[in-house]
Amino acid sequence: MSLVNTSRKFAQICATKNPILFTAIRNHWNKDFKPAAFPKTQEERNAAAEKYGLISSEYKPYANDGTGMGDYPELPLTSGDSRDPHYPWDNPELKRNFNEPLHADFEMYGEDRYDVMFKHRTPVYKQFFQFTGVMLGIFIVYGVCENFKMFPGLIPKQYPLQGKKHYTFEVEE
Amino acid sequence: MGNIMGNGVSNGLNLYLHPEITPDPLKEPKNNPLEGFDKLRKERTVKATKAEMESAKIPLQNRDYCVDELLRFKACRKDVWPFAVQCEHEKHAYLNCQYEDYVIRMKEYERERRLMERSAALNAAA
Repeated sequence: MSLVNTSRKFAQICATKNPILFTAIRNHWNKDFKPAAFPKTQEERNAAAEKYGLISSEYKPYANDGTGMGDYPELPLTSGDSRDPHYPWDNPELKRNFNEPLHADFEMYGEDRYDVMFKHRTPVYKQFFQFTGVMLGIFIVYGVCENFKMFPGLIPKQYPLQGKKHYTFEVEE
Repeated sequence: MGNIMGNGVSNGLNLYLHPEITPDPLKEPKNNPLEGFDKLRKERTVKATKAEMESAKIPLQNRDYCVDELLRFKACRKDVWPFAVQCEHEKHAYLNCQYEDYVIRMKEYERERRLMERSAALNAAA
């Protein structure tokens, strides 16, 4: 029993002297990231907004339709590619500021993933006409030229021992 | 080059626009090969027999009128291997023979084309 007490005291001393060693182990488990239940009263909403670092007027949870988002806030969807690369982000790798709430599907919209705010250089209907125009144009040229295949002026190759007589252009004396 | 860059294109157009005076390169000539010659033309022959070609494993597409030169070339290579460069004369003879064969085919095509033109003109006159 004394060994247990000694160990506990030792652990407490370590936790006070070197908290970084222990906070990393004891906090930020999966259960800590798990959102709480859907907020029903205004007090619960305010508490949830504060928990996620939002002001109460900006806080808007996902619809309570069974998707399991709980009280997690529905944040505007901005892709990593569309964020300002020249802004001095606290975390430039993720273009993210310290304590900034993350979108629920954050891992889907990184710079290496899908860009929801992507703008095409040409509109899609134009791209469709460009594609069909090029393909149809090539097909028409191909179809027309199919009738005019160039060829060297040669008769088919002559082979001996097949019951046919072939001649040179010299005459017998 | 002239057979492709210049004539090749017009050959293709002529075969579509004037098929009555343009021979099809994929069909054998229809005219009598001896027509218009005072004397008999020399026949093209090969000395090698089918058994010899089979024994030398000559591919079917190479069993043409140059197969004698090809057999000499391959026999030489076998004799002097690995100094195959010593067979340069045999190889030259074989390639020359292929060239002559090509020229004969071009001449036959031109002969066929002129005979077709002649018969078309005769038909138009009649």
